[in-house]
This record gives sequence, C-alpha cells and structure tokens, in this order.
Amino acid sequence: MQTTFTPRITIFYCINSFTETSSVFCEIENQAEITFVKLPCSSMVKDVFVLRAFEADADAVIILVCPEGQCRFVEGNIRAKKRTTWVCGLLDDIGLDGRRLSLFNVKSGDEASLEKILDGTLSVLEELGPSPVRRN
Amino acid sequence: MIVGEQKPIAEIKEMVAPYKKLLVLGCGTCVKTCFAGGEDETAVLASAIRLVSRKEGRTIEVEELTVERQCENEFIQEAAEAVGRNDSVLSLACGAGVQAIARRFVTKPVLPGVNTTFIGVLEKQGLFTEECSGCGNCELALFGAVCPVTRCAKKLLNGPCGGSQAGKCEVNPDTDCAWQMIIERLKILGQLDNLRAYVPPKNWNTSTSGGPRKLVREDHII
Repeated sequence: MQTTFTPRITIFYCINSFTETSSVFCEIENQAEITFVKLPCSSMVKDVFVLRAFEADADAVIILVCPEGQCRFVEGNIRAKKRTTWVCGLLDDIGLDGRRLSLFNVKSGDEASLEKILDGTLSVLEELGPSPVRRN
Repeated sequence: MIVGEQKPIAEIKEMVAPYKKLLVLGCGTCVKTCFAGGEDETAVLASAIRLVSRKEGRTIEVEELTVERQCENEFIQEAAEAVGRNDSVLSLACGAGVQAIARRFVTKPVLPGVNTTFIGVLEKQGLFTEECSGCGNCELALFGAVCPVTRCAKKLLNGPCGGSQAGKCEVNPDTDCAWQMIIERLKILGQLDNLRAYVPPKNWNTSTSGGPRKLVREDHII
C-alpha cells in the first residue's frame, strides 16, 4: 500500500508479543517512518504516551499486545484495550480522528498478521491523510 | 471522597481559548482517586489542549502541575510560582479547590476543568457510588448506616414506598432499593425496632438550604 505522503507511525509493543527485527519492517521501510516504543507489558501504554506520540508528529499509533488470555501479567492486554478505546474517543473529541490509533492482538512471530496490520494502517492513513497536528 | 468528572474537551477548549499561557493544575487527593484530576489526568488534559490548539492553529503554552490538595493553603502555596508564570489556571480540583485557588491568586482567571458530582465511595476500581448528600444532620444510626436521604430516589424517611421490584428501585432499576438495604441491615443488627420510630420531616436548615455552611473548631484556631 503506497500513500501519497510518508506516514509516521509509532508502534508501542509488548516485548512478549513482538520483535522489532521482523522482516515485515524492512519491506515497508521506504513507505513509512516507524518509531518503536518497547514496553515490558502493553498495560504500560498510558493515555498520555499515546497523545505525546501525536504531539511528536505521529500520523498513526499502533499498539501491539499479546492475544487475549495470554498476557504474562494476566490482564495487561485487556487494560491496554480499554485504555485504547478511551483514547480513541479523546482523539475524536480533539479532532484527530480516533482511527489513527489502533490496537491489535498478535502472537509473537506472526509475520502474516503484522503485514496485514501495517497494510491496514497505511490504507487508513491514505484515507485520512497526514495528522492535522503534524508540523513537518 | 468527593467524586468528579472531567469536563468534555469541547467545553474546556472554549474556556481556555482567550489565554496564551495556561497552567493545568491537578489535585492529588479525591479527584485523583476518581480519575478526574490527578497527575495522570493533568498530563493527558495538558497534552489534549496542546493538540487541539495546534490543530486549530492557536498558540498556547501549557504547563502542568499537581499539588496534593487544592483546598489547603499549605499545598496551594506550592503552585504559586507556576501560577505566576501563566496567565490563567485550569483547575482539575473539585469546586472547593477551584474557589480556594481563585481566592489565593486573585488576579488570575481560574477555570474549572472538572464537574464535581457527589460525595461517594469507591465500590471497585472505576466504579463510584453516591452515598452522602452532606445534609448536615446525620441520622445513619437509625437506618442501619444506609442513607435514605441520598440513596432513596424519593428520600423517604419512614419506610419503603412499595414500588421496588426484586430489591431494585422503581425509579431506576439499576439502583438497589435503599429501604430494602436498610431493612436487611437492621435485621442483621437485630434493630428492626428502629422501623417503629417515627422520623419527623427533615430539617434542611443544616443543608445548603440555609446558605453556605461553615464549620468552626475554636479549639484549633489561634
């Protein structure tokens, strides 16, 4: 999926669900600028971290969490999901469009799902365009 | 504790629009517990205001600070320098905190960022229920420590209305019938005889109907 601008995507991820070395990222390197934020558990994604990613010019934020029922800290991914829903509403209120933030349950090493997630995010960004608060 | 809820972004955006330098001032006690105005909520709101202003092409500098309590001068004092650096304050305290800040910094516009809703209890993480109306004349001893003034939709003092179904209030089926709870509690305590006592109409002079109230503890005043 090629967008008409170079999107900036910030990915918050739980270290148990994902590794930055995935080959999927090499493939889209020229289509998007990606910033990774590694977390010991997805429950550590506080609302303010997501908002600050947008303040730092992200066009979209993705949160990658373990599949439900497989969080090492029992309910970290459920907390992350609830928080994400809340922040999506806040982004709508701000006028940024909640679709710029999304959360996905992924199994460690599931490259196919990862590819789909990134493709989907690029499609959404193609429709939404750059973030209205992006400075450059 | 006092329970409050943050105002919608749209309302806050309008309130802060005339100002160029804004201090978002959190309160680390009651409103922190109910996720309306503690350190985290202060950071989120400050960020949201920066984003919404940037989106609308407005320039605003937003500083954030949280003090332990906005209703006590000792803690308010900690905010003095930050208040001085900004041209307005968005207080995330309850209504009392907002007014205490305004009284202390008379030349600064102090705006409310929270709707103060009730005096309540934390039932479980994320769930708060109203339990006290601050009527100024507590009669909980009679009612097995369940307040009909606050928890009965009809504020009945002499027994149930008869409209409840399966222990739920007929006004709002999501609410437990206060009188059912009172009777069950009195049963457990062996104090069902309390129900024989006639409770006269409540004297509301001790509530806000008698104007703003004041509590004086002469033994603590020097």
